[in-house]
Amino acid sequence: MSYRIVGPQSATSTSAIDYRMILGVLGSFIFFLGFALLLPMFIDLVYNEHTWQAFLVSAGISFILGGSLYWFFKPDREVRIREAMLIVAGTWLALSFVGALPFMLTGVLSNYTDAFFETMSGLTTTGATIFGGTTHTGQTNPAVENLPNSLLFWRSLSHWLGGMGIIVLSIAILPLLGIGGMQLFQAESPGPKSDKLTPRVQQTAKLLWAVYFALTFIEFLLLWVHPSMDWFEAINHAFATMATGGFSTKNASIAGFNSAYVDAIITVFMFLAGVNFALHFKLMTGKGRGIFDNRELRFYALVTLIAIGAITASLIFQQGMQAADALRYGSFQAVSIITTTGFGTYDYELWPSLAMFILFMAFFTGGSAGSTAGGPKMIRWLILFRNSFREIKQIVHPKAILPVRIGDYVVDPGVMRAVLSFSVLYMCLFGFIALIMSAFGLDLMTSLGASIATLGNIGPGWGDVGPSENFAFIPGPAKWILSFAMMIGRLELFTVLVIFSYAFWRE
Amino acid sequence: MKNIVILVAFDHSHNVIRFTLKIVVIGAGEVGFDLSRLLSENRHDVTVLDNNKDSLAHVEEKLDVLTIEGNATSIQDLVNCNVQAADIVVAVTSVDEVNMIASMMSKRLGAKKVITRVRNHELSLPESPLKPSDLGIDVLIHPEFSAASEIVQLLKRVAASDVLDLSDGKLQLVGIKLDRDSPLVGKSIQDYSIEMEPIVFRLVAIQRGGMSIIPSGKIRLGKNDQIFILAKTKDISKLVKSTGHRDIKIDRILISGGTTIGGLVAEMLSEQQPDWKIKLVEPDYDRATQLAEQLKNVLILHGNSTDPDLLAQEGIADTDVFIAVSEDEESNIISCLMAKHLGVPKTVALVSKPDYIPLSQTIGLDTAINKKYAAANEIHRYVRKGDLISVATLHGIEAEIIELKAKETSKVINKPVQKLKLPKNCVIGAIIRNDNVEIATGVSVIKPGDNVIVFVFPDAIKEVTSIF
Repeated sequence: MSYRIVGPQSATSTSAIDYRMILGVLGSFIFFLGFALLLPMFIDLVYNEHTWQAFLVSAGISFILGGSLYWFFKPDREVRIREAMLIVAGTWLALSFVGALPFMLTGVLSNYTDAFFETMSGLTTTGATIFGGTTHTGQTNPAVENLPNSLLFWRSLSHWLGGMGIIVLSIAILPLLGIGGMQLFQAESPGPKSDKLTPRVQQTAKLLWAVYFALTFIEFLLLWVHPSMDWFEAINHAFATMATGGFSTKNASIAGFNSAYVDAIITVFMFLAGVNFALHFKLMTGKGRGIFDNRELRFYALVTLIAIGAITASLIFQQGMQAADALRYGSFQAVSIITTTGFGTYDYELWPSLAMFILFMAFFTGGSAGSTAGGPKMIRWLILFRNSFREIKQIVHPKAILPVRIGDYVVDPGVMRAVLSFSVLYMCLFGFIALIMSAFGLDLMTSLGASIATLGNIGPGWGDVGPSENFAFIPGPAKWILSFAMMIGRLELFTVLVIFSYAFWRE
Repeated sequence: MKNIVILVAFDHSHNVIRFTLKIVVIGAGEVGFDLSRLLSENRHDVTVLDNNKDSLAHVEEKLDVLTIEGNATSIQDLVNCNVQAADIVVAVTSVDEVNMIASMMSKRLGAKKVITRVRNHELSLPESPLKPSDLGIDVLIHPEFSAASEIVQLLKRVAASDVLDLSDGKLQLVGIKLDRDSPLVGKSIQDYSIEMEPIVFRLVAIQRGGMSIIPSGKIRLGKNDQIFILAKTKDISKLVKSTGHRDIKIDRILISGGTTIGGLVAEMLSEQQPDWKIKLVEPDYDRATQLAEQLKNVLILHGNSTDPDLLAQEGIADTDVFIAVSEDEESNIISCLMAKHLGVPKTVALVSKPDYIPLSQTIGLDTAINKKYAAANEIHRYVRKGDLISVATLHGIEAEIIELKAKETSKVINKPVQKLKLPKNCVIGAIIRNDNVEIATGVSVIKPGDNVIVFVFPDAIKEVTSIF
């Protein structure tokens, strides 16, 4: 008897992963990225900064690479779940690799590590930047203000596209894993009509995109009408806000505009971007009655109000700030961190210890499921709390059967398990990434800050990566690890981690 | 007009006037079996249709009815049961949809009246796009729901052993057991009525030492008497107080058994009394989980209600009412006795065997609820809708409540009640005239066309109906 090596052709079992198909799907995404890469050229037409060639070349590479992948590996059937996992992770990776090209081709950045980090930060709606500091290679990256406008636009656009991707992800992929939270939302609103917005994922995605687009447009108008922002800045900030991203057109972020009006508008829209988009849809289509019965929305609002209240009080009484200023800066920073946006109007590392600590805790919250916000999400915290109270009650009534409820919806044991393991994994990953950062020589607060700022898709962290600093100085390999942290956090851990599991590859 | 009387008597040896009806019972399950027994014992012609051989064999063996094996949704099988000539078709299979279709077809085939068991409440809602009449259904019954409603009603009058709504709830009949130290012991009914003025009530029956008495005004009440009082609903609480029963404040309920009835009781109570602490014990884990998910404000416990450790753990001593509604009636009685022993002031048990019901009061159970009487009552209520006569039965007493319409030629009209020559074992309880309900007193006068509620022993029914 002789051993036969089973090649890909003979392994025709139905559960086998078809890599050709995955490449084909990725190819189509890369191809579409080409269209997005053409858009900054129009900005260049206006500002005439001679960067359009870089975008044209990037778009060309995109079209050729994506188009040929699609052409050669044309997907001819439905994607299976394991293939979907690889496609999702592959999409963020591939688009970051291609989307990083303009940073190199315009000559603004000279090392690809930084370009990739910046693009990944954009597409994952993180908002951590490497601009405005000295890099690990010793070069000085230009400050944000000195970047060509087309590149600024590309950064904001990458946020906005990432946000669109997340919306699709949360309705199409995450429910399959029982981890999205969208299925929680669906189950929570009873009645056949509100059960799901539409029966088809594609249709639902379009509706939610329309909501996303509308909110972005409204914010753009509201920012544009104010003299402190021109149309270009208004577009960029509207993109970055609705995606809960955090890239600004100024190094000082929103503080650079020095306008209470701008602060207020952005605070409100950051909060809205952290609300489940299906709720926005209901409100906009006049079916908004009862949306405040949504437990996650209530919890999200409550947590936000408590954080704002406590920080404001701390700023007034411990820092001696004027009440109006305390509220303005307190609420902006609180909402910015809770929704994982990462805009800044004040360096929170100069705050009293109480305000700082509350904000530190806010790094671990995240917005609602079904929004563009990152982080663990409110619904998971709510389920965890409910489960803990349940355990206490169980001690009093050992024989009682106590389901965990969110509103009228009973949390399925499978969802419960997913939430519990998510939380444990999240904390482990947070610690693990911080550990690696400290191994690269970063100090304690910087390590912790860099870890949660990227894993939670927030942007600014603590210490040397605090709100007035940037990620430029971080060693090259550490940047790749942090880029990976952004991706894994954005894709809700399991989607990426499953790829590293033995079971995933066994067959 | 011809009067139709359906009587469901406890003791079928009484020689009662009856019209024999042709009745087809579809479904030989628990309810079907009990109904068939009640109906056949009352000498109606009962045909039972079921697709289960074993159930039919059981019916065949125990009851004097015709059994036909067949499918409830098959036209041929329905025709074999002769539904086209039936006076009443009762569809009580365990499946709602089968009952609906069987009802619809029976009606089309020519059944005069169709009574259907439908557990789903949506059909009886006013906004339902499908009305029972669309399906040919004359009366919807839901025995478990009726039994559960009865239990809930009882909890509103904790002191009472029985509560029965009459005339759409305008009148209530309550049964109350007199303790040794009740102020009524030794008093005559006459004195009692004078004392209670201006409240008008009618003491319609006394259950004394296993015997039912239709009392005269001079009879004296004794300890351990169970008295049945008919009065307007608003006066009932004062009357209950006058019997010496202190008002037990109840807010802690323990339900044993997560049966359909148990679940319904828990659901109704938690909706009507959101501040009550309701616990439900169910031995089956899956059923308990299901109930826990359905019932938000009820604490569902997985365990056995005869387990003293569990009861102690859940504070049985602080419980105000213990309701045993499991499938096993012996265990219902035992667990109620145990609860009583542990100091629960009120216990309610679901008991199906008629033999156990008189027993329940003597061994100290407060109330026994019987699912099939609930169903039987519903069927009687339907007959009242035929506008002729209404009958209700009470647990634990051999008397019946019937509603009679006084005809122009009646012997009871235009005379004060005290001057009427009534049969011995009957009491005129109330007079209903144009939706106005009056408790009958000695001076009340019955007019032609009035509906009269009469409390009567089965042996006197013939005489009573003849004089109206």
